[in-house]
Amino acid sequence: MAINWAQVLFNSAITGSLYLVAAVGLTLTYGLSKFPNFAHAEFITLGAFIGYLVAEQLGLGWPLALLVAFLFNGLLGVLCYRGIFQPLAKRGSSIIHLMVASIALGFILRHSIGAIWTWKPLYFTATWSAFDFGPLRISGLWLWLIFAALALSVAMHLLLMNTKIGKAIRATSSNPELALASGINVNRVIWITWFIGAGLAAVAGIFRGADTQIWPMTGWDIILPIFAVVILGGIGNFYGAIAAAFIIGLAENIGVVGLIALGLSTQYRIGIVFLILIITLIVKPQGLAMLFRRA
Amino acid sequence: MGPLLYVCDLIVYIGIFGIVSLSLNLEFGFAGLANFGKVAFFLIGAYTYALLSQIGLPFYLCLIAGALISAIFGLLISLPALRLRSDYLAIAVLAFGEILRLIMKSEKWLAGGNWGIAVSPIFPWMGSHLIYRLENIALVGFCLVICFLVVQLLANSPYGRAMRAIREDEVAAEALGKDRAKFKAQALMLGSAMAGVAGGLYAQYLQYALPGMFMPMITFTVWIMVLLGGPANNWGALLGAALVQIFDRGTNIAKDYFTLPIDPSNLQYILFGVLIILVLLYRPQGLLKESKVKTKALRLAHNGRSAVKNKGSQ
Repeated sequence: MAINWAQVLFNSAITGSLYLVAAVGLTLTYGLSKFPNFAHAEFITLGAFIGYLVAEQLGLGWPLALLVAFLFNGLLGVLCYRGIFQPLAKRGSSIIHLMVASIALGFILRHSIGAIWTWKPLYFTATWSAFDFGPLRISGLWLWLIFAALALSVAMHLLLMNTKIGKAIRATSSNPELALASGINVNRVIWITWFIGAGLAAVAGIFRGADTQIWPMTGWDIILPIFAVVILGGIGNFYGAIAAAFIIGLAENIGVVGLIALGLSTQYRIGIVFLILIITLIVKPQGLAMLFRRA
Repeated sequence: MGPLLYVCDLIVYIGIFGIVSLSLNLEFGFAGLANFGKVAFFLIGAYTYALLSQIGLPFYLCLIAGALISAIFGLLISLPALRLRSDYLAIAVLAFGEILRLIMKSEKWLAGGNWGIAVSPIFPWMGSHLIYRLENIALVGFCLVICFLVVQLLANSPYGRAMRAIREDEVAAEALGKDRAKFKAQALMLGSAMAGVAGGLYAQYLQYALPGMFMPMITFTVWIMVLLGGPANNWGALLGAALVQIFDRGTNIAKDYFTLPIDPSNLQYILFGVLIILVLLYRPQGLLKESKVKTKALRLAHNGRSAVKNKGSQ
């Protein structure tokens, strides 16, 4: 069987773009608040449903759907942080308690979504024109996804490097006490990061939902690769996450070719991600962080 | 199902999940480990039991094999993550559970894929649901008592005290010569073995095992049991298991009598989530506080002090 390697590469770019948009928020909040927010999966899911509500149920179109979902999710992220995680951190809860609380929050969100929209999968009705470009099969949605990931990378780079708030985020991430002593409003920095992180999760959710389906497990379905990206890239490291997202996208898509050749179920693509996660933990738990500037 | 049968069924469930809850209490309560993949070891126990009983092994060997295989996997999966922070272990074990369920779902030749595998019950059919359930209560109760005695003895032994010391301050415990990675690995092995036994009991009671029984929700419910009952208190772990199971049944019964605005299967997990956040915020020690260490030396010291006090008052 001839393998269309160009298509494999292109698919890797799509997968990597999705993981990047989904993982940036998680890695930034993880780095600042020092715990993995498992409810990030449900932020992704909720974003997809808000997008569905605006684009399909209200019929207001894509750009507005992305914007509303981003803002709604961002506000919810800040509220969740202020209402649950900040009080827990203040009373000195251990990281395990924070993780359990985030799983509990995930359950509340997931089943609230299930209660509102039911557990039947929903689909965006918009059809994307697919066309052939040389050996490649391309859909408009995928081009938008890759564009979104590129735009996100540039915007985040400019934000982190050139703005006051970006510098404050980096300072707080590397040393919260020193940042506080330097007059940075650490809490505000954390809120802004949660706003951006949850908002970007919504964008990822809409793209994932448009590419596959929308149901209360939309986010949970991709939580393992997202965690793999965060850990491989180095927790809290934005530039590491970019590299890790595309490495994992590539590994998954090459892996699928291998799985088909071996006659195994392609569902095992998650297993490849799991292997990368475990190998990272054994060999280099700090991930690719040392290759990149801390951000 | 008659009320008596229903109560018997509930008791079996409390017993099985009591064992899992005790095992998580050992790992999280005493050793401070974030096992977010409890369901993986429950699954290993259930499928080991199912596959071995099919080739005709006696039930006790199936249960023991389930415990052993579960323990080995507990060790293997924890090795890369044990020396790292607890969040790495949580992510690695959670991922492990998801992968395992995926394998069971995809490999139809192994255990029937999505449709699962039938498990022959230990107790022959005596023509009565009640007798079947009573027999199971006896079996589960027996296993629960053994597990309880083991963890209770462990909690009060020097070994258990070293474990608590590592949980409180790894560096200080290491400075006193306690190998933290070894203690954690052993806690995970023992905890996984107990979860494996519980999984075997579960599969044989239900008479089948399928991937849908082992969703991440199971892990989460067991965490609620331990956190609600009181971490590092074995009675608390049992109390938590009983309360969560009764609550679970209660909402299922309530749905037959009330019309709720929210589908009860969703409502139940929303309430669980709210409950756990409230417990963490307002009563992180759970319903029952951490049990005090009981040792001979402490008792002697206590008696000595009261003896001195008595002398002084004479």
